[in-house]
Amino acid sequence: MTSPLPFDSELAAVWPRLRRFAYALARDAADADDLAQMAAEKAFRSFDQFHAGTRFDSWIFRICRTVWIDTIRSRSRRSAHEAPAEAAELLGHDPTSATEAAIDLGKAMTAMQRLPEEQREVIALILVDGFGYREAAEILDQPIGTISSRLARGREALLTLLGEGG
Amino acid sequence: MMDDELFYAWLDGELAGDEAEKVAARVAGDPELQARAEQHRRVAAQLRGAFDPVLQQPVPAPRFGSADVVDLQSKRSERDERRSSFGVPQWAAMAATLAIGIVAGQFVDNRSAAPVESREGMLVAAASLDQALDSQLASAGNQDAIRVGLTFRNHDGSICRSFSGAAGSGLACRNGGGWNIEGLFGSTAQGDYRMAAGDDPRLAALVNERIAGEPFDAAAERSARDRDWR
Repeated sequence: MTSPLPFDSELAAVWPRLRRFAYALARDAADADDLAQMAAEKAFRSFDQFHAGTRFDSWIFRICRTVWIDTIRSRSRRSAHEAPAEAAELLGHDPTSATEAAIDLGKAMTAMQRLPEEQREVIALILVDGFGYREAAEILDQPIGTISSRLARGREALLTLLGEGG
Repeated sequence: MMDDELFYAWLDGELAGDEAEKVAARVAGDPELQARAEQHRRVAAQLRGAFDPVLQQPVPAPRFGSADVVDLQSKRSERDERRSSFGVPQWAAMAATLAIGIVAGQFVDNRSAAPVESREGMLVAAASLDQALDSQLASAGNQDAIRVGLTFRNHDGSICRSFSGAAGSGLACRNGGGWNIEGLFGSTAQGDYRMAAGDDPRLAALVNERIAGEPFDAAAERSARDRDWR
């Protein structure tokens, strides 16, 4: 090895963003924490496939999304019937004033969950994380035109979900 | 009418040169488009802002170093155990709405006096709970809504206190002038039976994990209070 533990230092640099991406995809905090952890483990095991000189963040976000599709998502679906009513109810129980412009994490996660997955992941990458369209297209392995139209639809839906549309 | 995708691409800074200028000029001359741009910028900013607390949570990145797969597995099962006892990361993460809605909401009816609040992504004691942790001695044996149980120092040297109320129990540790909530456990009431909250095995496990040395006795507790729990 040329430098000590390059994986750990790459991971540490991107870790807060990776967790945020997991929170934007997942149904709840427990799933999100598991997702980020599992993505990190999978990336560590596949680190020899990472091409030096390319973006580590794009690479590990792509892994995270794959883990999401392969494992956590199906787990969430199985248990999805347990929570939604309660979660919806909690939106009305926010102890901070509903008139404040800021929305909290719980409300944002619920809104994201209501988006179709293909829109949610695009919103998570571009609006939440700030990836460009091209990087998002590469991470999701889709043409830019597809990314752009999913983003447009997701945005319109968010306006309504976050209370701006009505 | 402008093409939606073109408009959004401009909004996201994805257009360059002439194309960007053209759209900018059209938006500048159209109050409706301006309002729309403003609305979408605001929603995007709100969404980003809502996820900010995740970036700020002090959750260290896993380190792999020379770790092998077996280690990772055992770490995961440890984590799962912690998770079943609602360890800190999960709680801190969902601080704002969910935690308060589910457990803290049960501590009191009056939500403006909720005993647990989220500040900067951390759960902290507030109102009656903050007061009880600040001033109440376990040895007082009073009948208050919130009772303080054990007081001890954790491995960082901070003072922690366990507490319980009708709705459940938890652990708070001193941080600056306040109390960070390190764990909250809903009561396990079933039918007429309600476990004495202080006996919750999940709380006991958390205390066990955090305690360094012995719990304070009555004299140590009193003198710690006199020194403002430092």
